[in-house]
Amino acid sequence: MSKMIEQMNPRIVALLLLLGLLSVYFLWTLNPVNQTSEAIFALFLSADLVSFSMISYIYRVDKRGDNASRGLLLAGCCMLLLLLLAGLFL
Amino acid sequence: MASTAESTRRNDQGRLAQVVKWFDSRLGLSYELLRPVPQYAISPFYWLGALAVVAFVIQGITGVMMMLYYVPSPAQAYSSTQYIFRDVSYGRFLETVHLYTAYAMIMLAFMHLMRGYFVSVHKKPREVMWLVGMVMGFVTLSLGFTGYLLPWTIVSKSATDVGVGMIDALPQPLSSFLSFLIVGAGGDAMELLRFYDLHVVVLPAVLLALLAVKMYMLESHGISEPAAGSSLIPQKKRRLVPIFPDVSLYLLELAALFGSAMLLMSVIFPLDLPPEYSPQLAAQYTAQPDWYFLWIYQILKISVFEGAGLPVALSIVTLIFIVLFLLPFIDRGETRTISKRMKFVTLGAIFVTEIAALSVWGLLTPGRIIPDEQAALVLGGTALLITVISVVTYRLFFRRWASGIASSGKVSTPASAPSASMWAAGSFVLLLAVGTFAISSTINALMEMIVQGPAIRSLPSLLLPLTELMLAVAGTMYVLHRLELGSESIKRRIAALR
Repeated sequence: MSKMIEQMNPRIVALLLLLGLLSVYFLWTLNPVNQTSEAIFALFLSADLVSFSMISYIYRVDKRGDNASRGLLLAGCCMLLLLLLAGLFL
Repeated sequence: MASTAESTRRNDQGRLAQVVKWFDSRLGLSYELLRPVPQYAISPFYWLGALAVVAFVIQGITGVMMMLYYVPSPAQAYSSTQYIFRDVSYGRFLETVHLYTAYAMIMLAFMHLMRGYFVSVHKKPREVMWLVGMVMGFVTLSLGFTGYLLPWTIVSKSATDVGVGMIDALPQPLSSFLSFLIVGAGGDAMELLRFYDLHVVVLPAVLLALLAVKMYMLESHGISEPAAGSSLIPQKKRRLVPIFPDVSLYLLELAALFGSAMLLMSVIFPLDLPPEYSPQLAAQYTAQPDWYFLWIYQILKISVFEGAGLPVALSIVTLIFIVLFLLPFIDRGETRTISKRMKFVTLGAIFVTEIAALSVWGLLTPGRIIPDEQAALVLGGTALLITVISVVTYRLFFRRWASGIASSGKVSTPASAPSASMWAAGSFVLLLAVGTFAISSTINALMEMIVQGPAIRSLPSLLLPLTELMLAVAGTMYVLHRLELGSESIKRRIAALR
């Protein structure tokens, strides 16, 4: 299992980076003086920060030679999903 | 005669060396900088102060953006704030994030202070760090106070007027100095301009300077060891990790998660601008300070402190701050372990609980004068409850743990330690939350009974929170009991508290 997580780490990072880029592009398309747009902006920015935090965590534990905690990664992914869904359905 | 002079010279040199040594050990003048950090310090509890700094940085960024539009004059302060809300791109978002990070900064600074108090970081050689941290705390509160006036709403101006009105009751020359500093020659325009200057220039500059001093001393002394020393911590947790990149990345992760939480808060609780201040509207409005000053305001509302008693109330509040400030020179015992500091831990717990109770109570009774007997009942009752819980915990449980650990004679490190400690911590947090709600509901029910008179129909609203409170106390005792019977890992962790 730990080997699988080790192999998954770079792919998770790539996915998170892609997600970050897409959300930044999406943020540029918003109307900045509308309250709903402000909420979407905040949610996507929040998702970007969570994904940045996950990337940094994976890099840090990888570099130290430890395994990333499955619980933390799962919590991060759930949080990301919630934020993105909330942003899309606002 | 010559030998006496020589001996005096040596003594003087010895004293001078002692003074130099004292300053060196406190200010870290000859220490190595950017020293690595032990692995056990990679935990959010060790970095509450750093998170407060992150909040300060976010406030700096959002504040500078708002400065581009804000006009600090009574005629335009409100309209320019309204312009930021309505017409500036993401203006409401900026205002909301600025306010919530200010709240978070105050809360984090308070948590940082109380954590430091309970684990005795104020003791040798970190006394000066404590003093600097306390001044930073005052500056943080001042930032909140001065920033609150700037939107010039009915809420902010009325609350500030209450605060400014209290300055006259302070002893001289403090009263004159503060009046000169924040009110000047008088008048709204002068007051707003001074508050603005203090908020955007003076206080941030002072905070940054103090932060630099504190960071320097943190680097010099290093991260404080756990209260019971690091010998009980597993070897793996004691290994040193470098500042770059490990600790820096960890701090970045914490900062990103904190920023994310603040953004989420701004979405869930978006800010609305209250009406503009006008003397006519102010006459109909009940002034109430922001939540972090509510506990002070609630003390001032006790009827014995009304009118001529105001200086006494302010003196009590000032005394609390002075005692906290001078704590390193009051709590001078060598030991840092929690189980051997019953007096100070109990006092700290009473302080935190009273502040929480007064704040909730203040929120529920805006503008209402509190009768003396009610205040005595609530404040005295809370203090008594905490004292009883503390004495029972110390007398029954810590003593039994001590004898249990002594009789077992060994300390083991089973693999279940992290999950066991997580469950124990989770149970305590849950019980604490239930207990806090129960205390606040009990106070509320008691107040209603006192105000409306005792009646059978109001009995359930009192009995319910009392039952909750008893359940919370019973649950706490059960968890403590289970901990004693639990695995060696728990006992080891409890031993660490000693």
